[in-house]
Amino acid sequence: MDIGDSPDEAAFRLEARTWLEQHAKRRDPSARHRPASTDAEQDAHAKACQDWQRVLYAGGWAGLTWPKQFGGRGGKPWQAAIFAEEQSKFDVSTGVFSVAHGMVAPTLMMHGDDRQRGHLDAMLRGDEVWAQLFSEPEAGSDLANLGTRAVLDGDQWVVNGQKVWTSGAQHSQYAILLARTDPDAPKHAGITYFIVDMRSPGIEVRPLRQITGVAHFNEVFLTDVRIPVENVVGEVNAGWKIAHTTLSNERALIGGSGGNAFTVPELIEMARRYHRTDDPVVRQGLAQAHIRAEILKYMGYGVRTSISRGVMPGPGASVMKLFFARHWAAVGSLAVAIEGAAGMLWGDSASDDGLWQQVFCQQYAIRIGGGTDEIQGNVIGERALGLPREPSLDRDLPWRETRGTKA
Amino acid sequence: MNFDLSDEQNVVKDLAQQIFEGHAPVERVKDIERNHGGFDEALWRELAKANLLGLCLPEALGGSGYGLVELCLLLEQQGRRVAPVPLWATVVLGALPIAEFGTDEQRALLEGVISGDVRLTAALSETGADEALRPSVVATRTATGWHLHGFKPTVPAAQFAQRVLVPARQEASAGDGPIGIFLVDPTAAGVTVEPVSATSNQPFAHLTLDVDVAAGDRLGGADADGEAQLRWLLERALVGLCALQLGVCTAAIEQTAAYTSTRTQFGKPLSTFQGVAHQAADAFILTEPMRVTMLQAAWRLMHGLSSRQEVLIAKYWASEGGQKVVHLCQHLHGGMGSDIDYPIHRYFLWGVQNETTLGAGSVQLARLGTLIASDAVGAAS
Ligand SMILES: Cc1cc2nc3c(=O)[nH]c(=O)nc-3n(C[C@H](O)[C@H](O)[C@H](O)COP(=O)(O)OP(=O)(O)OC[C@H]3O[C@@H](n4cnc5c(N)ncnc54)[C@H](O)[C@@H]3O)c2cc1C
Repeated sequence: MDIGDSPDEAAFRLEARTWLEQHAKRRDPSARHRPASTDAEQDAHAKACQDWQRVLYAGGWAGLTWPKQFGGRGGKPWQAAIFAEEQSKFDVSTGVFSVAHGMVAPTLMMHGDDRQRGHLDAMLRGDEVWAQLFSEPEAGSDLANLGTRAVLDGDQWVVNGQKVWTSGAQHSQYAILLARTDPDAPKHAGITYFIVDMRSPGIEVRPLRQITGVAHFNEVFLTDVRIPVENVVGEVNAGWKIAHTTLSNERALIGGSGGNAFTVPELIEMARRYHRTDDPVVRQGLAQAHIRAEILKYMGYGVRTSISRGVMPGPGASVMKLFFARHWAAVGSLAVAIEGAAGMLWGDSASDDGLWQQVFCQQYAIRIGGGTDEIQGNVIGERALGLPREPSLDRDLPWRETRGTKA
Repeated sequence: MNFDLSDEQNVVKDLAQQIFEGHAPVERVKDIERNHGGFDEALWRELAKANLLGLCLPEALGGSGYGLVELCLLLEQQGRRVAPVPLWATVVLGALPIAEFGTDEQRALLEGVISGDVRLTAALSETGADEALRPSVVATRTATGWHLHGFKPTVPAAQFAQRVLVPARQEASAGDGPIGIFLVDPTAAGVTVEPVSATSNQPFAHLTLDVDVAAGDRLGGADADGEAQLRWLLERALVGLCALQLGVCTAAIEQTAAYTSTRTQFGKPLSTFQGVAHQAADAFILTEPMRVTMLQAAWRLMHGLSSRQEVLIAKYWASEGGQKVVHLCQHLHGGMGSDIDYPIHRYFLWGVQNETTLGAGSVQLARLGTLIASDAVGAAS
């Protein structure tokens, strides 16, 4: 399987694997557990992630590519790729930290001040789970339309508004927050990027049930929430650019998350159990899945390289996210098709504990979350192909005018 | 054939629409799913009161004597509201074959169907390959009738049924005995009904059989050709699914058109982005063939014409086209599609259920390929 490894890579892989063998339990593909599908399972998962993150930190494996000054290992992107590959064979996850490690950390490394970067070490230690308070009911694909208001009062900002689809808010100690600080500027020019303590008075988290049965995301209501001025990341009213760093990293994160929920070998193993590997249609589907997984691996090397150099991953991250979303959707459909009549059973009634049904239904989390397929297409059109941007009616108007009396 | 509906057919459609719209609002559907195992008994009573359960059952038994096309119009309306009632199971899988092949004693069950007191279903799916024409349950003769032994997965609404039609292989030591269809009481000793959860929230149960049935419970009596009955039943079962799927898809598209026309982003309705409009148009283009292929198959079956190809074409399109439609509609709802307090996800899940039940698109395609490549095309019809 590791035929592509150079001697350095092979040595590193052995080191990683040896350490993992000592500290984690190998994943038994036949006893594979589905992603959390009840609230209790989700809480247990969050706890297990924190425990594992602590073990990683103690063993010197946390923040593989992060610079040493931020508590990381200062390693190379290929090392992170190999470690992720090896780790995916074990029954462990760091999923609850994906916003913190994958989105907030690279943003703070680029744009944060020293005090703000102090969070990085806590994230690596497994002490801080973060959420992303960006989307609002009226600001989904059109994120820059957001209307949560922040008004300066002495040395604090006072925030009022509503966020929606906030993943993991119920487990988070901190969040990154976008709020409107100048309603008279055009919509992209009046947004500020904040760090907010989720335990602040005035924050209310209400769970939303997802198609998979679990409350993965939430509505978050902010009422007179006070944020100290030191928690502004970058300049006031200059948050949009910073948000871009976060969003690019989010795309890279989602696009690079193959193997977290399922692997192609697991899919093949399931097809064998169903005696479907002789069917030429199934075989072609499996081969296509394998090809896509290989492509994603290679694309991942490039994207990881730019992230580790502190460079925004660029349109490559959008390509990867879109490609990954298609891969995920195709695998979900193939898996339930292989299971035939049993493919639409759920939870305990389904085989593999309902893993493949979860994959199938979760495809919309991947295709919608982190910017939809169409939005990635627009990014690719504009930034990779240099196409002119779609004409927009409200881009240069003061935000307040485009929002009527709402502000 | 003519795809325009007759006046009478329009009356049936309007009545069905009125009942489903009046009795399956979203809140009610949600409550039935969560708290009543996926069966809305009050709605079932309403359907009985309007004599829609007996729509295509013989007038002599109290039915209205309509045919398969009218029944499909009814199922289409159910699909439009994703209404949780075991209509397909009771009427298509149970009542139709009993009306067609049943002995007088068996046909007496139909009065209960028409009045709403009796629910039926059939155990058609097989584990694995899903080849319903090769049943794995074995029937052996006893002094007073038959003993059935075997397992049947995912029987629709078996937990609410008074009788289950179970196709079985008779005395099959070598796996090639004749087929019989048996009317089994799921509450009888020797039958285990294990309700299972389905992604679509519709009721299904696994059936384990180790049970004696009376000689008189073989559909059509001792000498009836069970294999012909099973083929007959499967064709109607597939067309019924196509009708449900048509309703699911047309309603999903309408809701998507409405949603994207009212939701604004970037200062204008989503539907004014060509990226959105073209996807909605694609969904519409996929749905029109579902309607014509379903009606063609239903009409031919109703008139006793050979319909093997037409049924496979219809189910292929309902599966392939249908799943694409519900995916597109789900996607165009953005994050809203993932929130189960919002109704569109139910159309997605029903659409996928209909797609896969009794064989997804690739299965129908393989069957059709075999059929047209081995027969001289059209010679059989
Ligand atoms: C599982 C999940 C987790 C999430 N987690 C978070 C989180 O933690 N924090 C957070 O802030 N947000 C989160 N989100 C929100 C996510 O970022 C938004 O749902 C997403 O950006 C889309 O916005 P929307 O839902 O409002 O859809 P809309 O913007 O209303 O889009 C609806 C449909 O229209 C299409 N569309 C929109 N604009 C265009 C266009 N210009 N051209 C063509 N088509 C277009 C879209 O592609 C989509 O198909 C999450 C979402 C999901 C599903």
